[in-house]
Amino acid sequence: MSGDKYPETVKLSGFVRPLLAENLSLIKEMTGNSSDIVIRKLKTGAGEKIEIAVVYVGGITDDKAIHDFLLESIMNSEELAKKEYGREVLETIASDAVALGGVEKEKRLDKVLESLMAGNTIILAEGTAKAVITTTKGGEKRSIKEPENQQAFRGSREGFIESLDTNISLVRRIIKNPNLWVEKTTMGSVTKTDVAIMYINGVCDPKTVKEVKKRMESIEIDSILESGYIEQFIEDAVFTTFPTVYQTERPDMVAGNLLEGRIAIFVDGTPFVLLVPAVFIQFFQSVEDYYSRFDIATFIRFLRVLIFFISLIAPAVYVGATTFHQEMIPTDLLIVIAAQREIVPFPAVVEALIMEISFEILREAGIRLPRAIGSAVSIVGAIVIGQAAVQAGIVSPAMVIIVAITAISSFATPSFPMAISARLVRFFFILAAATTGFYGIILGLIIMFVHLCSLRSFGVPYMTPFAPFILKNWGDAIVRLPLWTHEKRPELIGNDNKVRQGEYQKPEPPESGDMKTKQEDGDQNETKR
Amino acid sequence: MRRSVKIVLLLAATVLLQGCWDKRELTDLLLITAVGIDKGKDTEYELSFQIVNPINVTGALQGGQGEDRPPISSYSVTGNNLTEMSRHASAKMSREIYYSNTNLLVVDEKLAKEEGLIKILDALDREADFRTTATIIISRGQKAKTFIRTLTAIDKIPSNKVNKTLQNTEKHLGENMKTSVQDVIKCLTSKAKHPIISSFKVTGNKEKGEKMENVQSTSPEAIVEADGLAVIKEGKLVNWLEGKTARGVLWLRNKISRTYLTIPMNHERDAVTFDVIRQKTKIGSHLKNGKPAISVDVDMEGDIGETTLPIHLDDPKVLSDIERKVAKELKNELQNTIDIVKRNKTDVLQFGDVVYRTHPEVWKKMEGEWSNRYFPDTDVDITVNAYVRRTGLRNNPNILNHREGRS
Repeated sequence: MSGDKYPETVKLSGFVRPLLAENLSLIKEMTGNSSDIVIRKLKTGAGEKIEIAVVYVGGITDDKAIHDFLLESIMNSEELAKKEYGREVLETIASDAVALGGVEKEKRLDKVLESLMAGNTIILAEGTAKAVITTTKGGEKRSIKEPENQQAFRGSREGFIESLDTNISLVRRIIKNPNLWVEKTTMGSVTKTDVAIMYINGVCDPKTVKEVKKRMESIEIDSILESGYIEQFIEDAVFTTFPTVYQTERPDMVAGNLLEGRIAIFVDGTPFVLLVPAVFIQFFQSVEDYYSRFDIATFIRFLRVLIFFISLIAPAVYVGATTFHQEMIPTDLLIVIAAQREIVPFPAVVEALIMEISFEILREAGIRLPRAIGSAVSIVGAIVIGQAAVQAGIVSPAMVIIVAITAISSFATPSFPMAISARLVRFFFILAAATTGFYGIILGLIIMFVHLCSLRSFGVPYMTPFAPFILKNWGDAIVRLPLWTHEKRPELIGNDNKVRQGEYQKPEPPESGDMKTKQEDGDQNETKR
Repeated sequence: MRRSVKIVLLLAATVLLQGCWDKRELTDLLLITAVGIDKGKDTEYELSFQIVNPINVTGALQGGQGEDRPPISSYSVTGNNLTEMSRHASAKMSREIYYSNTNLLVVDEKLAKEEGLIKILDALDREADFRTTATIIISRGQKAKTFIRTLTAIDKIPSNKVNKTLQNTEKHLGENMKTSVQDVIKCLTSKAKHPIISSFKVTGNKEKGEKMENVQSTSPEAIVEADGLAVIKEGKLVNWLEGKTARGVLWLRNKISRTYLTIPMNHERDAVTFDVIRQKTKIGSHLKNGKPAISVDVDMEGDIGETTLPIHLDDPKVLSDIERKVAKELKNELQNTIDIVKRNKTDVLQFGDVVYRTHPEVWKKMEGEWSNRYFPDTDVDITVNAYVRRTGLRNNPNILNHREGRS
C-alpha cells in the first residue's frame, strides 16, 4: 500500500541516526518538508555545546504543554547544564527534565515518525541514535455539546465529540469501575486512526469481544474516516436496509448498553459510537424511556412502533385502498376522496410517487442547504407539498395529508438508520400496493418480517425477544415495565452474569402503624388557645 | 450466487407479471348508493340507480363549484332480469357500476305485491360487490324510480337520509324498523317466518322532487318520509301495519328503546303522557295441553312527559295509579297488535322462533303449518310492569299551583 512507501534510505536502516542534522533532514524528507512540522533547535548541556532538536506537528499538539513543560524545563534545568554528552542529555530529559506524563525512548525511525504524526513531540540530541517521545497530544477540539441527532427531554445533555480520548472519558465518568476495559488500536494504513473497543469485563460475553476483535483485525484498509467505515466492514448482513449495528452520540446510552453486556466501538474523529450486538427493537428505544416513568415510556414505545408502521405503509395503504379495495373505505369518506381524485390527472400510485419523491428531494435539500437560506426550503416546500400543489390539480388533498403524516412519522423514529431504512422500503410497499393491493402489502410485510427474522448481529438474532421468543426480555421490549422489575439483564446479550439488582424492590408506603395519623404536638402553624 | 439471482428474478416475475388485473381507479367507478326496482312497462323490471356525483356532494369544500348541481344522478334501464339490466346500463354510463357502497334497496309496492321479492333477491345475494347488509324498503305510493330521484335537504345523499331516518325513528318512536336485505333473505328461507319491511313515501309535489329547487327552499316541496310496515309472507307483500300496531310489533320483538304512551285520567282523554326511556320485553313459551302458549313480560321505565291535569305528581299514590294505567294501556295495545297479526296469519312477532328454541320437538311438527294453523290459535299472556322513574324537572304541574293559590 502506498502508505508504506518510505524513501529508500530509511528502508535500508530504519533507525535513528547518531547525527542530529541527518535525522532532521530525514524527517524533512519523509514528511515532504511539510510546513506544519516545527523543528526547534536548542543548545544545552555543559557550556551549551550540545545541540538538541524538539520536533512536533503544529496544530495537533498541545502548544502550552510544549512551552511550559518541555522547552522551558529543558532550558531551565540545572541537571542538564552539567551534562557533557548527547546521550546523557537525552537520558536526563527522559528521566528528569520533562514534566509531562508520557515519556518513552524509541530507536526505530518509522515508529518515531508515526508518533510524531499522532501529535507527540520528539526530542533528538546530537550524538545519540535515540529519540525521546513525549505525549503532547492536543490541539483544537470542539467543546462538549448536546448531541444533535439524539436529543432527550430528560437526561444528560452531554454528547460525544470528535476526540477519542474525550469520548472514552465521558463514558468512564459514568461507569466508575475498574472493570470498564478499553482496548485501543490503530486502524487504517494511511490515516492511522485510533480506534477503541470498550466493554465491561464480567458483564459482556468474552466470545463476542473476541469476535469483534477478530472482525476488526481482519479489516485491511488505508483509511478509517468515520465509524461508518468500521460498521460496514463488521456488520453481519450487507444486503439489507436494516441496520445491524447501533450507533449513538450519547454517553449515557453507551453506558446503559455496556451494562447490558454490549460492546462499544469508538473511532477517533467522529461523535458516533457503535454498539454491538444490536437488536431490532433497540432502534425504537430511547434513553428517556428509562428516565421517565414506565407507563409513559410504554405508551411512547407503542407510539414509536405505530410510527414505524405508518412511515412504512401509510402511502401504500392509501394506494391499495383507493385502487383495489374501495369497499374497505366508509362510503362518506370514499365520496370525499373520490371528489378530490376527480380532478387529479394521475393514477393514485403515480400521485403517491410524485409526492413521496418530491418530499425526499425536499428533505435532501434541507440537509444540504446552508442554514442562512434554509428557511427558503421550508417556504418552497410548503408550496410543493401543500395547498398550491392541490390547487394546481396535480395531487389530491388526501394524498398531501398522507405524505405529510408519513414524513412526520419518519422524523419521529428515534433512530435515524431505522427511519431511513423505512423510507427506502416504503417505495417497495407503494409499488406492491399498486400491483396487488392489500395482498401485496401483506406479502411485503411477510417478506420483510421473514427477512428480519433471518438477520443476526454478532450471534444475537435480530428479532430477539420476539423471535426467538424470550418472555423474560419482554419487560423491556415494546412494553417497558417498572425499573424494579428489571432484575436480570437481557438474555442472549452478554455472559451469564445476569443479576442486575435486588429482588422485588417495589416502592410501597410504610405500614399504617408507622404512618403519621395525627398532627404532632409541635405543630407550630396553628395558634393554641 | 447466479442461481439465487435467477430464483429471485423468477419469484419477482410471478408477482409482477400478474399486473394490476384488479385495479380500479376511483375515477373509473360509479358509486351507486341506492338501487330501485320497479315493474317495467313492457319488460319484467325497471332498474334505477342512484349515483353519487362526488364533487357535487363535497362541492362546498372545493370552492363552491357544484353547489347548484345535484349531488346525485339517476339512470334507469329496463329488462327481464337484474343481470341483464346491470349489463345494459353500461351503455348509459361512462364508468363501471360499483355496488359496494349501495346501502339502500327500494322495491316498488306493486312489484312486491304481485311478484314478490324472491326472484330479485337471488340476483342481489349472488352479486359479489353488493352488500346484503343494505337496507331494504318498500316505496309506497310512488314508483321506486321516483323515490330514488327525490333530492333530500340536509343529508345530501338521499339513501343516507333514508337510513338515518330509519335509525332515528326506530330509536325515538319505534313505529319503523330497519331491515336489511340479509334479514329478509334469512326469513324467506323458512315458511314460518315473515319479515317486515319499512316503507317510505314521498309527500308533496313528487315531480319537483328531482329538481334542485326542492332542496333550495326552506320547505322542500317533496319530502321523503317513513310510513308503515310492510308484512311479507311467502315472498309477497300481504298487508300493512301502521301506527300503534307497528309499534306493538316492534315492542313484542323487543326493539323499542324510547317511545311514549298516553293515558286517560279523571275521565279526561290523553291526560298524562308517559315518556318511555327504557324497556325490556321477554317472550317465553310453555306447553299448554300439548300446544305452545306464549307469555310476554314487559318491564318499562319512564318519566312523566307532560300532563294536562292538576294532579299531585309528588304523591306516590298518584304515581302508582299512573303506573297501573300505563301498564294497562300498553297491555291493550299489545293485545290489539297480537289480534291483528293473528287475523292476518302472519307471525311477524317471531313467536315461532321462541317455540323452536324452547320446544324444538313440538316445533318440528308444527313448522310447516305454523303461520296458518297454529299461530292464530296460540294463547298469549301479557304482563306489563311500568315504573315512573322521574317526573321531569318539576313535580306538580303549574296548573295545580295556580288553582291552589300559589304561583
